[in-house]
Amino acid sequence: MTLVGAGTADWFDVEGTVPTPKKARRLKDGTVGLVVGLVMLILLLIMGLLVPLLSPYTIEQSIDMPFLPPSSTFWFGTDGLGRDVFLRVFDAVYLDLGVALLGVMIPFAIGTIVGIGLAVGRSKVLNAIVGSIIDGINAFPLLVLAIALIALLGPGLQSVVIALSLTNWARYARLARTRAMVVKQQGYIEAAQTLGYSKPRILFKHLVPNVSSETTAYALSDLILVILLIAGLSFLGLGAQPPTAEWGAMISDGRPTFQIAWWPVIFPGLALCWAGVSLSFIAEGLTRRERDVKS
Amino acid sequence: MTAPTPTTDAESALKESGHGDGPRPQSTGEKILRRTGRAIIVAFWVMVVAFMLIRLSPGDPVTAALGGDAAPETVEALRKTLGLDVDPLTQFWQYFTGLFQGDLGASLISGIPVTEMLRTNLPVTLWLILTTVVMTLVISIPLAMFIALARIPGLPYVFRTLTAIGLALPSFLVALILLYQFGLVWGIAPIFGYDPTFPANMQYLWLPALVNCVVLVPVLSRVLYSSILDTLDEEFVETGVIRGVRSFRFFWFYVLRPSLAPTVVLLSYMMGVMVGSTVILEIIFALPGIGRELVTAVTMRDYPVVQGIILVFGILVVFLSLLGDIVASILDPRVKLT
Amino acid sequence: MSANPVPGVSPDSLVEIRDLVIGIQRTRKDRLIIVDSANFDIRRAETLGLVGESGSGKTMVCRSLIGTLKRRSASIFAGSIIFDGLDLANLDERQWRPVRGNRIGYVPQSALTGPNPVMTVGKQLGEAVRRNRKRKDKDVRKRGMELLDLVHIRRPEVVYDQYPFQLSGGMRQRVMIAAAIAQDPDIVVADEPTTGLDVTVQAEIMKLLQEIRSEFNMSVVLVSHDLALIDEVCDRLVVMHAGTCVEVGTVPDVASTPLHPYTIALNRSRIDIATPGAPLVTIKGNPPAVGEWPPGCRFAERCDLVQEDCAVGRNPALVEVRPAHWSACLHTELLGGSHG
Repeated sequence: MTLVGAGTADWFDVEGTVPTPKKARRLKDGTVGLVVGLVMLILLLIMGLLVPLLSPYTIEQSIDMPFLPPSSTFWFGTDGLGRDVFLRVFDAVYLDLGVALLGVMIPFAIGTIVGIGLAVGRSKVLNAIVGSIIDGINAFPLLVLAIALIALLGPGLQSVVIALSLTNWARYARLARTRAMVVKQQGYIEAAQTLGYSKPRILFKHLVPNVSSETTAYALSDLILVILLIAGLSFLGLGAQPPTAEWGAMISDGRPTFQIAWWPVIFPGLALCWAGVSLSFIAEGLTRRERDVKS
Repeated sequence: MTAPTPTTDAESALKESGHGDGPRPQSTGEKILRRTGRAIIVAFWVMVVAFMLIRLSPGDPVTAALGGDAAPETVEALRKTLGLDVDPLTQFWQYFTGLFQGDLGASLISGIPVTEMLRTNLPVTLWLILTTVVMTLVISIPLAMFIALARIPGLPYVFRTLTAIGLALPSFLVALILLYQFGLVWGIAPIFGYDPTFPANMQYLWLPALVNCVVLVPVLSRVLYSSILDTLDEEFVETGVIRGVRSFRFFWFYVLRPSLAPTVVLLSYMMGVMVGSTVILEIIFALPGIGRELVTAVTMRDYPVVQGIILVFGILVVFLSLLGDIVASILDPRVKLT
Repeated sequence: MSANPVPGVSPDSLVEIRDLVIGIQRTRKDRLIIVDSANFDIRRAETLGLVGESGSGKTMVCRSLIGTLKRRSASIFAGSIIFDGLDLANLDERQWRPVRGNRIGYVPQSALTGPNPVMTVGKQLGEAVRRNRKRKDKDVRKRGMELLDLVHIRRPEVVYDQYPFQLSGGMRQRVMIAAAIAQDPDIVVADEPTTGLDVTVQAEIMKLLQEIRSEFNMSVVLVSHDLALIDEVCDRLVVMHAGTCVEVGTVPDVASTPLHPYTIALNRSRIDIATPGAPLVTIKGNPPAVGEWPPGCRFAERCDLVQEDCAVGRNPALVEVRPAHWSACLHTELLGGSHG
């Protein structure tokens, strides 16, 4: 979709001459968001490391006092089985983020390879078929497709990662193919060819780095979606299984008793939001900075 | 001018007046036709993916359904029911022809045809989607208009932050909290149940739709806000002022309509994502839609139902994005459809 | 900025612009002045050229004539624009309505973004014809066709129902001209109306504007940075530099004896295709930025003939150096013109 937007430069007939105060020393657009996001993420990662190390309990250990409200001993209270919510919330940090990372990196790798392959490949028939399958997969909401695959694979985090690998790659493949097509047309590829560089050299020195910079940017925002997706699947009982400490599963656990005890639901929920928002700020900050440099 | 080619009136008008430039742009009708054709092709591949999903993915549906130690006769029988006893091409042909006769197979558990289930459950999901779209637009458009015209400094910043937060909120958590607050504390929303007739169903749908709005409204109003600002920068707004166009007509033709296309396209895309989250919302709000049916079928390993429902979801998304593009190109003839 | 020898007082003056100051009120105390002391007249049925580099304030002067400064958060701080007994500098929105579009038409800068992209040609012409009055659809359509015919659009009945994106740049600009003259205005303001058009199409549009001017006895204000174009089609011209009018006179006068170094520099910087190998001359330096105007003559820094008294004091005012030929240069004697 393209909209025409020319002819607006002559706004004041003084284009660019209106002096903006302090332009030189101004922070780049998006820096604040980026820093806030990074600090939030690092804090979460540190807590995820320290809390399980320093806690006197284990995630499965019950202290026989269910539904203790948050107090100075149990900062986030205890859940229905008398487990320390504080410990469980932070114990889940590396599991949630780790599985999400895996669920992004595998599709990222598959998709980039397939996408570049389609762009440089010669077989028209293969291109058309694979291209159409990519379109077909991309038409489905990711969650729906993942749910369907888990029906075959059986519930569990392992299935979640496999399901993501089988479906999410198509989005990366589409992106990588489009990008690779554009890069292929660019002057420097032609120049490299004229200079007689070998094909693999052109592929790995020029095409792959240029394509992956684009897909990496997408991967960051995708990571947020995948974190939410994994928690969502666990919430539905299709991801992490009890007694694993995982945010979505914990929220699902606490849901029937939400009325009498909000803490087993809200604290894992906050942690999930915290993780998502921190990455979202980082992504937003990075794109803003990028645009700032370009303009 | 070499070979005489048949030209339409518009084209010859251009040529005669001596300043035609480049190929004639497609008319809106042509664009829509081409876009619809593409949607049909994608829909076909959606069918293929839904078909392959059950057959090509790791794990055998029959063993998954019956467990590893079922009797060979039972396995054979299920294979036959699922139509897995013939070669894949025949299977696909049966599946494909079945689709056009409205046959999506039957539930392994209850024996009810999948199309029958869709007849009762699909409207619930469609109503939820429709309510979400209407609600989002009703909130986003005035909000974006107000903010763009009021010109409050620092607002884009607030918007950006809200969007970043909105996109990272898990809808199931928002749903739980809103359901608790509205349903249990204030008692202004039913916590379960559904009424399939029109005005009555709104009572059950407004809260789940509101949950979707929490994510959609910041994103959409931000996009609409910035395209309204872009539009206000354009020269044609000035020509409207000079022609003395006023009030409603001015806001619609000179401000809102030229700005809406990107928002509509984004909404249709976001709805595609939201269709996925309706699965979770239907479970939390106990709405008898196809999303809830899907999860039930998955836990029961009811493959024909799973396959039928994901097919419907896929087609739904294809249709939504087609609809978004069509509406956008009708609103704004500049929109190019690919 | 004094106005003692008022330029261009003449019985056929239609608009008199005097000491016009336009700027943006950025904060309560902080004003950014974009135009100060614009002084010139628009005469009946003439084509007046307004020429200057971008940033000289010519577009702002244009906007003040059609009352759309406010949309660009600018306003008139001082001065007057007298048009038929009305001071356009002091009209409110309600008072503008009968003037804008009715008596003063406007042709936008860009053919690309000038027409409303979501309305058909006919709808837009209809608005210009109707102007919120009730008129029969049939009459509106008839008048619309008539207008399209006036601007030489063939098959008006086809074009009438088309969207701007279906038309070429030249056609679009013809449609915009048709809309501008719908109410038979006294003045048509055209702000660089050929931006982004092919050279041949540019010439056609200019020819059309000339034709309409003579046929309907309208005045045309043509804004451009292209001196060659102005020379070709205008009767008189106003040269603007850094927010002031530096020279006003008839086209032949200014061409034969330019009375401001800036005009001379502009003339010299024209690309001379006729003389192959002729060096491409540019005006040295950049025009001073808005808000950073130096004291005295604002061209002093870029001027080859700069004298000691040039860059001090106030911005020099226009002086009638020769009959009906004004210049704001303090040292016109150095240019060969006789002072006083």
